[in-house]
Amino acid sequence: MYEDVIIPEGVSPEALKHIMEPQNYGKLENPNCIGVALDEKTKEYVIFYTILDGELIKDVSFATNGCQDTVVIGSMFSEMIKGNDLNYANGAIAKMHEKLGTMTAQQQVCAEIVFTAFIASLKNFENLQNGQEEELHILKMKESCEAENMPKEGESNE
Amino acid sequence: MNKTYQKKHELWLSITFASFAISDEEIKSRLYDFAQIAFRHMKWLGSDILAAGDDYNYDRDNHLYKRSTVFEIIKALQEEIQNIQASYPQTPLAERIKTDDIYLLEYLSQVLKNSANNKEITAFNMKREWLDKNLAQDQIDALTLFLFDESYKEYELILVYAYMQARTSNIQQFNVYQDLIDESHFHLKSFGNMMAIMGILALPRELHEMTYIVKDLEQFIVDGIAEEEAAKIMCKELSDAIKDEELSKFFDFINYQESYHIELMKKLL
Repeated sequence: MYEDVIIPEGVSPEALKHIMEPQNYGKLENPNCIGVALDEKTKEYVIFYTILDGELIKDVSFATNGCQDTVVIGSMFSEMIKGNDLNYANGAIAKMHEKLGTMTAQQQVCAEIVFTAFIASLKNFENLQNGQEEELHILKMKESCEAENMPKEGESNE
Repeated sequence: MNKTYQKKHELWLSITFASFAISDEEIKSRLYDFAQIAFRHMKWLGSDILAAGDDYNYDRDNHLYKRSTVFEIIKALQEEIQNIQASYPQTPLAERIKTDDIYLLEYLSQVLKNSANNKEITAFNMKREWLDKNLAQDQIDALTLFLFDESYKEYELILVYAYMQARTSNIQQFNVYQDLIDESHFHLKSFGNMMAIMGILALPRELHEMTYIVKDLEQFIVDGIAEEEAAKIMCKELSDAIKDEELSKFFDFINYQESYHIELMKKLL
């Protein structure tokens, strides 16, 4: 359950596992919705492929040109929500937001870009259901991990 | 999309990472030479595909021979090389590739004939230590993250520049891309061998087409220069953090190379 999730920090064995062999990484065959979250400043992106069956998230995968933190969080998050329903996914995002409060500002931006890509895929699904022609849905990030006032690791984010 | 190209891409990675994984310097060096030949095969196959009005991408199946002995790696390589043979087209290029592959198979057979070559592989043992260096845990952690980040980045740069090189008719751009590809091969080799020493050798993750299909060259170069600047900072921080003179000097050396990459990239603007 996501209530028990522990965000891996630094170079823990758990983080290494996700860095070396990210789960659900790459393109998904026949997704029924695709979302992209884009950091226009750094050009970092996360693309999320989702297969929805009603409320059930049957399958997901993601890809990114981002840093290892993005990969680790994308790998963990996709594992958490795969096979669960949308309500569970929303709960997982909220729970991970709570946990992220203990992380650096940069890591929070990395997490946010992963969640935003998933949300963009849901928006793509909604638009397609409403008859719009949309190959994928893009959401632009408000925060960039290259923001000038971004605290560095070890500095307070508050 | 072209499956032969994909298999060649996978084979290039397999030979490259077999070279990194094996610690015997002679086998490592020979395999790396063959890996570079395989990369040229990939480049030439790509040119032929484009000339025929077709296209290719960088999709691949993720796999790495995480084997425990040299012979297990060599045998897996033999099998992969044999499996690709049927997919080559009937062209002069394919004939050249086949003769290269036959020679590589012969070399691999020779390696297998000498049981003294069958050493243990430690590249995947996850020990994260550098036996002849006294690195503190925070230095090991910094080095680990750097190697994962930068090995992916070098792999990405090799493929992105190769993709753009294959599609330019501008001689100067072609040459700059070649220089940048060569430089990134050297960096990938350096970082891959370091990962193997530390027992954390892993394949870089697959590239998505959003990464290598470039629609705005100028913006791509501007962003690329910013990335090189960031890589320089990472190298400098790592060099300062690592309390080992040899490693520290190595990262300074890489840092200065990144400076010249920026100059090369400016020529593309």
